[in-house]
Amino acid sequence: MARYFIRRALSVIPTLFIVITLSFFLIRLAPGGPFARERDVPEAILQNLLKRYHMDEPLFKQYLRYMGDILRWDFGPSYRYRDLTVNEIIDHGLPVSMSLGVISLALAVVGGIAVGIISALNQNKWQDYVAVSVAVIGISVPLFVMGPVLQLVFGMRLKILPIGQWVSTHGLKAIILPAVTLAFPYFAYIARLSRASILEVLRSDYIRTARAKGLKESAVVWKHVLKGALLPVVTYLGPAFSGIVVGSIVIESVFLVPGIGRPFVQSALNRDYTLIMAEVVVYSLILIIANLVVDIIYGLLDPRISYK
Amino acid sequence: MRKILFALFALLAVAGLSAQEFTMVNGAEPTSLDPHAVEGVPEHRIYTALFEGLTINDPRTNRALPAVAESWSFSKDYKTCTFKLRRGTTWSDGVEITADTVVQSWLRKMDPKNAFQYADLPAMYIAGAQEYLDGKAGPESVKIRAVDKYTFEVQLVGPIPFFADMVSHYAFAIVPLHAIEKYGTDWVKPDKMVSNGPFVLSEWKPQEKIVVVKNNKYWDAKNVVLKKITFIANDDINVGYNLYKSGAADWTEAVPLELMDEAKLRKDFHVAPQYGTYYYIFNVTRKPLDDARVRKALAMSINKNDIVNKVTRGGQIAANGFVPPSTGYTPAKGYGYDPATARKLLAEAGYPDGKGFPTLSILYNTSSSHKSIAEFIQAQWKENLGISVNLLNQEWGTYLDTRSQSHNFDIARAGWIGDYLDPSTFLDMFVTGGTQNDGLYSNKTYDELLQKSRETSGNERYQLLMEAEKVLIDQDMAILPLYYYVTQNLIDTDKWDGWYPNPLNVHPWKFIRPKK
Amino acid sequence: MSDEVILQVKDLKTYFTVDEGIVKAVDGVSFDLHRGETLGIVGESGSGKSVTNLSIINLISTPPGKIVGGEVLFHGKDLLKMSQNEIREIRGNKISMIFQDPMTSLNPFLRISTQMIETIMLHQKIDKKAAKEKAIEMLKLAGIPAPEKRIDQYPHQFSGGMRQRVMIAMALSCNPEILIADEPTSALDVTIQAQILELMRELTRKLGTAVILITHSLGVVAGMCDTICVMYAGRIVERGRTEQIFESPRHPYTQGLIHSVPRLDQETKDRLYSIPGQPPNVIDLPDCCPFYPRCEKAMDICRKKYPPVTSFEHNQSASCWLYAKETQNV
Ligand SMILES: Nc1ncnc2c1ncn2[C@@H]1O[C@H](COP(=O)(O)OP(=O)(O)OP(=O)(O)O)[C@@H](O)[C@H]1O
Ligand code: SF4
Ligand SMILES: [Mg+2]
Repeated sequence: MARYFIRRALSVIPTLFIVITLSFFLIRLAPGGPFARERDVPEAILQNLLKRYHMDEPLFKQYLRYMGDILRWDFGPSYRYRDLTVNEIIDHGLPVSMSLGVISLALAVVGGIAVGIISALNQNKWQDYVAVSVAVIGISVPLFVMGPVLQLVFGMRLKILPIGQWVSTHGLKAIILPAVTLAFPYFAYIARLSRASILEVLRSDYIRTARAKGLKESAVVWKHVLKGALLPVVTYLGPAFSGIVVGSIVIESVFLVPGIGRPFVQSALNRDYTLIMAEVVVYSLILIIANLVVDIIYGLLDPRISYK
Repeated sequence: MRKILFALFALLAVAGLSAQEFTMVNGAEPTSLDPHAVEGVPEHRIYTALFEGLTINDPRTNRALPAVAESWSFSKDYKTCTFKLRRGTTWSDGVEITADTVVQSWLRKMDPKNAFQYADLPAMYIAGAQEYLDGKAGPESVKIRAVDKYTFEVQLVGPIPFFADMVSHYAFAIVPLHAIEKYGTDWVKPDKMVSNGPFVLSEWKPQEKIVVVKNNKYWDAKNVVLKKITFIANDDINVGYNLYKSGAADWTEAVPLELMDEAKLRKDFHVAPQYGTYYYIFNVTRKPLDDARVRKALAMSINKNDIVNKVTRGGQIAANGFVPPSTGYTPAKGYGYDPATARKLLAEAGYPDGKGFPTLSILYNTSSSHKSIAEFIQAQWKENLGISVNLLNQEWGTYLDTRSQSHNFDIARAGWIGDYLDPSTFLDMFVTGGTQNDGLYSNKTYDELLQKSRETSGNERYQLLMEAEKVLIDQDMAILPLYYYVTQNLIDTDKWDGWYPNPLNVHPWKFIRPKK
Repeated sequence: MSDEVILQVKDLKTYFTVDEGIVKAVDGVSFDLHRGETLGIVGESGSGKSVTNLSIINLISTPPGKIVGGEVLFHGKDLLKMSQNEIREIRGNKISMIFQDPMTSLNPFLRISTQMIETIMLHQKIDKKAAKEKAIEMLKLAGIPAPEKRIDQYPHQFSGGMRQRVMIAMALSCNPEILIADEPTSALDVTIQAQILELMRELTRKLGTAVILITHSLGVVAGMCDTICVMYAGRIVERGRTEQIFESPRHPYTQGLIHSVPRLDQETKDRLYSIPGQPPNVIDLPDCCPFYPRCEKAMDICRKKYPPVTSFEHNQSASCWLYAKETQNV
């Protein structure tokens, strides 16, 4: 098992290499460049800018230089944010985005499973109907609608939660709205998924066996139902986490969260090559690691899977 | 009783304190806090809190007010400007600002190795500076000097009577070279930054906020009332508007287009003419846009009043001329809404009832308001001229490339806001080969008029510029002005004093204070 | 076989509510089970065998099912009137079950040890270590080689036959008085079927466990059971001692079943006989003999009224108009 994971971890390297190489050349294919302005930069200044960022060198040389830097985890200077290195931008934003992402995922998973269990065990009772309706809303309402609605209700009408900004301004309260908004569709989907799979497992033969053995209903659910019923949820964790990571780019703007999502959007719009590259690398790493973790959890839960 | 009094007193103290703190929704995360690297509005607002140049803008008229310079004078021919520096003005670390600081600061801005955007602005006006910027001469060629410790002299390329107004612009910033030398690019970080404005940097949380607090070393500190200003970084105008409405911010600029009607009803929504124009560029090298009659027909078939009243709805002013009006300057008359004449002109150009007119496209960068405007114009041209156009939207980087590098467009949306209050900031753009002349317009008379304007001053100069605009608009209709921008600000002026709507939308922080 | 009746099922009725109407899956089933007896319940698919047995330990899930009538007396106490706590004391302890498909009846996510130990600890109030020893002992009895090692494995590491052995070991681990085996071999290879049946017989004899063996096939019951109940459409249509049923089947359905058992002592010239037609749909069944559409001897009365029970010698009985006094009088 350990060997399997070391191998998986090592296989990340060629993947990353390809991602980095492709991105490096692709983003330079997009029209425009980091120094394009509505008010054109005078030629003399432009030449100096190009020199400053080694953009006057042949592309392949730039590529080699970049690969060298990245091996030392040095992403270089940002073209847009002159005062900060790309590493500084990532170092500031990544912990914020990661905590938002992880908290949202935890909310979605814990909340989704809890609601899934409640509604499965109360199938066709009011608890179930409420849960199913909430799930339908969660799945069908997009983030950029849900966010402002929650802001309006909790920030402007009830005035109990901040509309935006982060922990340094409002304390932990600041996390609630963005995390809930971000988690909501995945919470809803997980609730639906776990409800369905719990119901399916409840009908399975081995649950009948467990009951025929005289186990209490609670023991049946906790010991016999959940492990099997949660496997589809675990499988969904990979896509859910990617979705949350992508969604957080929207949510960060809506709630003024100082993560890496907002600089990502800005860097793409402004052709901030170094920053785009770093964001691509960081997001790829997050997704790759997330999938690896999901694999591990899956392997731990399902004894039928063996890693060689 | 004493307890109650004490509590009341404490309450008052707290209320008083919080009223001395100000929060604003500042727009996108600043790209730099280095005054010489500033190029956008959010950065500019932070700059005006932290730094002062030789002059600052009057909060009502935007004309020059004394700052680091306590007075200035021009030579008779307006080609030399001499600034008298205030004695004893220091940086927040106590180091004195002298004429030499100003010289070294301006040279830093124009040093070609530093490659600062906007370095061409001072270089355009200071004698010998262009050569330095182009790398053709050393810094000694730049005609600025410290006459003595407190006297700073600039020789200009021509008579420039508005030069004192201009040096309030961040392109003429004065920077703490001693700190820059010590810390390198890190000098702008909170624990290292040294500044000379009414405030000093206290906190910088990237993508979140910048906090500045009162600078006790500021020369006019006794007249600064605010103790703290928080600039919230924000790139979603809806949340900015909500922050303001909920009371979490005291000032915001942007109002979402969908909420414009709601905002307009508010007492604290201030709309005022801005020194800027929204216009369409014709690519005059393309048929049939190379024909002035066609360009005029296109201009005359748009009801611009409908655009501002029904589409943008934020108090903008329909524009037939290009340069916004200002004291002593009357813009070109241009052409109003006149579909009948438009049809006639189009027929004369060989397209009666729009027959045979090729399908052109309107290029704009992705945004709902640019889209709405383009759709409106598309419909007007269809209705009034019987011609069809396509809409082409591109995201910012691609749009800029299409518009200014490849020039691969028919008609493109554009907008320009003057850097300082002078018509030349608009008209300079369209000289042959000008960096912002994206429609590739070229007219000898126009070029000559502008050249001449640089060698004259006062009323005579304004006449030449007005003449030039007539050529650009009335004669050639090289670009199609649509409306003059307005400044839109949400700030409660019943609560805050010292904030006034003004054409450059520049609001020096030292004047802003709670109303008594 | 002792004459002590340990389980008495009286007029048991279990209905399911489905969209199309009410499924009378079990509709008035009665039988007695004696200490140490092996009782076979035979019938076609859908005749209500499984529902009968799940009803006995009150494991019908409501909705859609509901036990609408009858009694299940275990040592004289009605299991159907017991509280959840009381009946759980019986399940897996006094009455345990083995199901048809050993591949799906064990929890694939838990080790065999976990699944066995939890039952033993639950009912025998012994510590984990003792429970594990007991489990290993049971596995050994059930013929699992190297049980000390195998016990820590997961179900997927066992073959089908091995799993059914595990199920048997688990079911018998608390020394129940009754083992209900619901088609324990029909999912297995023919060769393994015999081994499993043999194991069951041997172990239950040894432990003195009474068995209710549910099966499609008369062949299986022939060798195993003392008594046989034949079910058709939710009711028992014939019952009797095994020899009697095979010797002189009374009900035309039983006769058909016996006819369709492949016999080694007869040369089969023709194709194997099978009862023509389909088992009836038990939704909204009218009052009639449900077998009449397939019965060669059907009479008019058969489609008008359900036949009463007629008793024969040796405690054999059948529900068929052929033997009812009323018809003979006509
Ligand atoms: N959960 C349920 N919902 C609806 N109907 C059911 C349910 N369980 C059983 N039934 C119905 O009850 C009837 C008897 O089913 P049962 O499972 O007892 O048959 P069986 O004799 O065990 O058949 P098999 O040999 O196929 O196991 C069938 O018609 C079946 O459709
Ligand atoms: S009652 Fe009638 S139909 Fe039913 S089995 Fe007997 S003879 Fe056949
Ligand atoms: Mg069955």
